[in-house]
Amino acid sequence: MTVTIKPPAPAAPPQKIKPTFRQRLNVWDVKASPYLYISPFFILFALVGLFPLVYTFYVSLYDWHLLKGQGDFIGLGNFTEVLADRFFWNSLFNTMSIFLLSAIPQLAGALVIAAVLDQNIRGKTFWRMSVLIPYVVTPVAVALIFTYMFNEQHGLFNSVLSNFGIDPIMWRTETFPSHVAVASMVNWRWTGYNALILLAAMQAVPRDIYESAAIDGAGAVRRFFSITLPSIRPTMIFVVITSTIGGLQIFTEPRLFDPTYAGGPERQFQTTVLYLWEMAFQRQDFGAASAIAWLLFLIIILFGVLNLALSRRIASSDGKRQRRRPAAEGKQK
Amino acid sequence: MKNFRHPAAAIAGAAVVALLAVGCGGGDSEAASEDNPLELTVTTFGTFGYDDLYAEYEEANPGIDIKANNIDRGANAQTDLFTKLAAGSGVSDVVALEEGWLGAVMDVSDQFVDLKEYGADDIQDRWVDWKFKQGTDANGRVIGYGTDIGPQGLCYNGKLFEAAGMPSDREAVAELFGGDNATWDTYFELGKQYHEKTGEAWYDQSGFVWNSMVNQMKEGYYTADGDLNIEGNDAMKEQFMQLAAGTEAGLSANETKWDWGTGKAFTDGSFATFVCPGWMLGTIQEQLESAGGGADSGWDFADVFPGGASNWGGAFLAVPETSEHKEEAAKLAAWLTAPEQQVKQSAAANNFPSTIDAQKQLAEDATPNPMFNNAPTGAILASRAEGVVAQFKGPDDSVIQEKVFGVALTQLDSGKVDGEGAWNEAVQLLNELVVKD
Repeated sequence: MTVTIKPPAPAAPPQKIKPTFRQRLNVWDVKASPYLYISPFFILFALVGLFPLVYTFYVSLYDWHLLKGQGDFIGLGNFTEVLADRFFWNSLFNTMSIFLLSAIPQLAGALVIAAVLDQNIRGKTFWRMSVLIPYVVTPVAVALIFTYMFNEQHGLFNSVLSNFGIDPIMWRTETFPSHVAVASMVNWRWTGYNALILLAAMQAVPRDIYESAAIDGAGAVRRFFSITLPSIRPTMIFVVITSTIGGLQIFTEPRLFDPTYAGGPERQFQTTVLYLWEMAFQRQDFGAASAIAWLLFLIIILFGVLNLALSRRIASSDGKRQRRRPAAEGKQK
Repeated sequence: MKNFRHPAAAIAGAAVVALLAVGCGGGDSEAASEDNPLELTVTTFGTFGYDDLYAEYEEANPGIDIKANNIDRGANAQTDLFTKLAAGSGVSDVVALEEGWLGAVMDVSDQFVDLKEYGADDIQDRWVDWKFKQGTDANGRVIGYGTDIGPQGLCYNGKLFEAAGMPSDREAVAELFGGDNATWDTYFELGKQYHEKTGEAWYDQSGFVWNSMVNQMKEGYYTADGDLNIEGNDAMKEQFMQLAAGTEAGLSANETKWDWGTGKAFTDGSFATFVCPGWMLGTIQEQLESAGGGADSGWDFADVFPGGASNWGGAFLAVPETSEHKEEAAKLAAWLTAPEQQVKQSAAANNFPSTIDAQKQLAEDATPNPMFNNAPTGAILASRAEGVVAQFKGPDDSVIQEKVFGVALTQLDSGKVDGEGAWNEAVQLLNELVVKD
């Protein structure tokens, strides 16, 4: 920004003068440059985030066929149609059910794994790498392997059950078992990942607190619940938010769990994103699919606001107690 | 808010596939030669049997490089094609279309090349008349060359038949089912006898039996004029209730179609009969192989079908308007569907050709098929093709087959609803999925 166009301004008497071009350039530099520096993100976001969002809304106002293209303007017709559709509500129920079945065990498992990894164990790096391996495997491969194992007539799980004289579980035909099956794929993939994030937060908890607690006679369990958990609360919130957003958008696992239909013959495990995809590419109704996309967007915003309110409260309660914020918090973003 | 991790991976994957597909092609419209090499992309589905033919074509036409892609099943190939058509790019130079969703493709037939511009008129006589007409749109543009047709015979497991005290010899089985006058009544009656003796199922699941029944009707889900033909169609409902009665009597094994426990159901005696359009023989062979079974599994193929001649499925090759090598692509499609190549395709994939000369050839050769107890499958299919007539397929035929009746019959198979309940479910789904749109 230091382009020399004119020679430096001569020293002038201390009176009101017009700022030189260079001075104006300086002022402009200070004021505008920061925006320029961060603009690439916003330009990209406008292109690949905002524009699709707005265009999807535009499409949702029309009768829009996948192959035949734009049809008549029907206002909010697609939205009323989707809201009156039993399959839309069914997909929301499935999404919430699978989300709860995956998020809760996943966080509990991740906490336990992180707490174990936080101890002084041999081969730390080996164990930490090991819990991340499921995350490295592509979801498609995970879904295929689990689909074989959950096969109703010939799968591994039902063979094992039958060895114990237990009736086979209808993993694909019955609603609840199918949700468990899909959630187990999600859990398998994400538990280790979340464990590592929680581990990072745990490592930042000052060790002297543990020592004093131990001297005061607190056992390992007490230390975990009274020191570790409160200290990593902000990180917990972060993990909860990301797994909420991820959980509301589950697609690959239920899609591949039943390659014939979109989420089971009777939509037993059809999530909202899967329903959106079916509407767009199998039933070829782009307008209704866009309406579903927007409704899902609004639902995610709703969850985001809830999460924000929750994390604000927790952050302020943190401030009151004057606890040092874990240093690892900044690293997770 | 910006952590869209689960679907992001799926979308990225799809994008990469799409980009790869777009990346192919380029070049100009001159004929290919060694100095002007060009690449043709071909997309097929199921068991198509083209691999050796691609190599042969590349050998005979220097400069042509064929990049082939085969999708596991027709329904996924449909989704793939429609997604790419909607995106406006990525469709292969030569793409296979299934009869079941041809109706939907015909709605946008202008997105495919009129093969008449590339000599379709000269080779029209190759095909059986109705097959060529199916590939022609309402404006007389020819958008698809027929590959195979799906005349149906009856697959049965000779070992299981013998164990149940039934004849296992191919001719005797054909006679048992009623020969030329075979009816569904006899089929279900024999099934009940078999079920009583063995306690095992008669067919794998109800969906395929139903597809066969519907394809056999003069008019299926649509009338010849293109109107929906389900609600209030008493003949169709009667047939549905006949199937439902069989399933409720325990004749269905409630298998997952296109999966069959990765083929194990074909080897462990889960069911004794299977409805077999020509191309299904290839599917069975693949399933047997994936389950580690072979010729000793006992499957055989009889020259009989309940209710008479029936055609289920069959494919076409088309060239999309977005292709950059239309002429070469049309040439390849014509070559692949020529009688000589159809005979080879049939040998590789067990399907039944749609050209007259190839059909004659198969009937004459009567080559024994080792996978089916040395049954001359080609000759049997030629006999099964007699009397087959084309049925009009509407734009939502595949949706009705998969998402309306397919769903209702799965519920029937798993015992959640009875026959009446399944029919009502189908009608409700029809109104929600097809009529409303």
